[in-house]
Amino acid sequence: MWRLIRPFAFNFFLLLMLIPIHTDADEFKVEGGQSIQRAVDNAGNGDTILLSPGFYKESVVINKEVSIKGEEGAIIDGGGGGSVITVTASNVVIDGLTIQNSGSGQEDSGIYIEKSDKNVIQNNTMKNVQYGIYISNSFENQLLENSITSNNSHFSNRGNGIHMFKGGGHYLKGNEIANVQDGIYFDFTKDIKVSENHVSESRYGMHFMFSERILAERNHVEKNVTGFMVMDSAHIDFRENRVTDHFHFRGYGILIYETKNVQVEGNEILRNSTGLSLEYGVDTLINRNQIAANQVGLEFMGKNENNTFSENNFIGNVVQSKISGEDMRLDDGMKGNYWDDYSSFDLSGDGVGEEAYKAGSLYDRLLRKQPYWQFFFESPSIKLWTKAEALFPSFGAADVYDARPLVEPVTMLREAEQRSKDRMVPGVIGILFILFSIFVIVKGRKLR
Amino acid sequence: MIKKLGILLIMSVGVVSGCSNSAMEPEEINPEIDVCEVCNMGVAHEHYATEVVTADGEIYKFDDIGCMDEFLEMEPLLKEESAAKKYVRDLDTGEWVELEKAYHAFHPDFWTPMANGVVSFKDKEGAEHYVEEQGMGEVLDYDSLKKHEWSWGQ
Repeated sequence: MWRLIRPFAFNFFLLLMLIPIHTDADEFKVEGGQSIQRAVDNAGNGDTILLSPGFYKESVVINKEVSIKGEEGAIIDGGGGGSVITVTASNVVIDGLTIQNSGSGQEDSGIYIEKSDKNVIQNNTMKNVQYGIYISNSFENQLLENSITSNNSHFSNRGNGIHMFKGGGHYLKGNEIANVQDGIYFDFTKDIKVSENHVSESRYGMHFMFSERILAERNHVEKNVTGFMVMDSAHIDFRENRVTDHFHFRGYGILIYETKNVQVEGNEILRNSTGLSLEYGVDTLINRNQIAANQVGLEFMGKNENNTFSENNFIGNVVQSKISGEDMRLDDGMKGNYWDDYSSFDLSGDGVGEEAYKAGSLYDRLLRKQPYWQFFFESPSIKLWTKAEALFPSFGAADVYDARPLVEPVTMLREAEQRSKDRMVPGVIGILFILFSIFVIVKGRKLR
Repeated sequence: MIKKLGILLIMSVGVVSGCSNSAMEPEEINPEIDVCEVCNMGVAHEHYATEVVTADGEIYKFDDIGCMDEFLEMEPLLKEESAAKKYVRDLDTGEWVELEKAYHAFHPDFWTPMANGVVSFKDKEGAEHYVEEQGMGEVLDYDSLKKHEWSWGQ
């Protein structure tokens, strides 16, 4: 019996010895083995609690405006029950902690924020938690540079990296998320900016449900089942994200379903089962994206209304587009897209091909109905069929075409910079070599 | 020899075609590959999954009872009892229950994968218990579920 309670007794004894006493100073230290909760209880609004390196086995509720800062090696362990840290006050700062072992219940998290605004959560590491950070009914929280992984089970048993439920106005930047169910989940939220986050090895990189006015820029989502999953939302902007390596059987780079006003601009959508898929999308603007090396570059299903689609590069996709459903124009009337399988010419020299590029074919429609017919992909008979279709366009499926196909790929801004840099280096090296050779030649002559 | 091969062929055809799902039993969910027929979302929350199993052995899977309803609106032929069986799962145990026999708890704020707010149970007690536990919502049986207005009343 004594052997069982000895560790606890020892801790209790330590606690008695080392209770931090609240002085007027607004900063106090907590050492390993002491209680953070007690420190919070004794603190006043505006105080700072510094955690020394050490192991703190407890669940903490923060109900005051305090800052908790951990030195390297400060570990809070929830012991596998409930949320590790629960925040109910506003203006709380949580900085530099390692947070681990939450429970595995429906909303158990590393940090659970309920009805509290303007908190800053930064530089924390969360491991073996159900959800990383769960923000419910709160506004204007900042989540910066955190690193989050869930438990080691199948993704259907994990929670999400960052889950936002109702509320909004948050800013998420530079978070590193891997091995969760969905990296960042927007659940009935509004007005959120997410930049420069990296999500990998999860189900969906980002998952938008019933959310509005969200800007996702310069994020990198890779090696998940699907990169961006957008459903029943409005006013979602994707700018300059990299969406790569979603080769899962049901994988998409970006899947947009029943959503209004989506802008997809300047993204790199590379190496996915399906690069970009639209189903019941309304008023989307898809412009200047690099859609390359996907199994299927572009997919339109069902009814999609009023979509503007221009200046995208389609390069090296196994199937350029799969289109079933409505008629559609793939250009904005002035400029279309670059398709690397476009086989006509630009005779007038304006950079636009003289013949329309026709996307999709009867075969695509058949594939929609009978996916197994993929077996006949590139077979002679299908080739013949496609050729026949090209000769007799009335033959075809829905009339989907690009009337202004570009004959040169669009140069993306970042690429152009990169390219000039790439040219600089060999140039400089070459000049150095020439100078050195001249030097050697001149010297050599003198030596003779 | 040829005869034997012929018999073998016929037998193998018999074996292959014998695999059809004549009992119209539901199929286990595989969260790794199964996605909802209607909304394409992966079925990760298995206990919320629903299935339509048709008489000719087709199985359609959904992540949420609301998606199944939407599907049946699009495929009215399958609404008939003889054409297809509809299955929901008991939220607590994950048992498959036929829709006609199941009870449901509804409140717009109940969490479900597609935010329809309807969760299913194998008996009335389960649904009542859930409503009690959550402190809100109402219990629906099959008839009142048919009258239910599906919406995201947020």
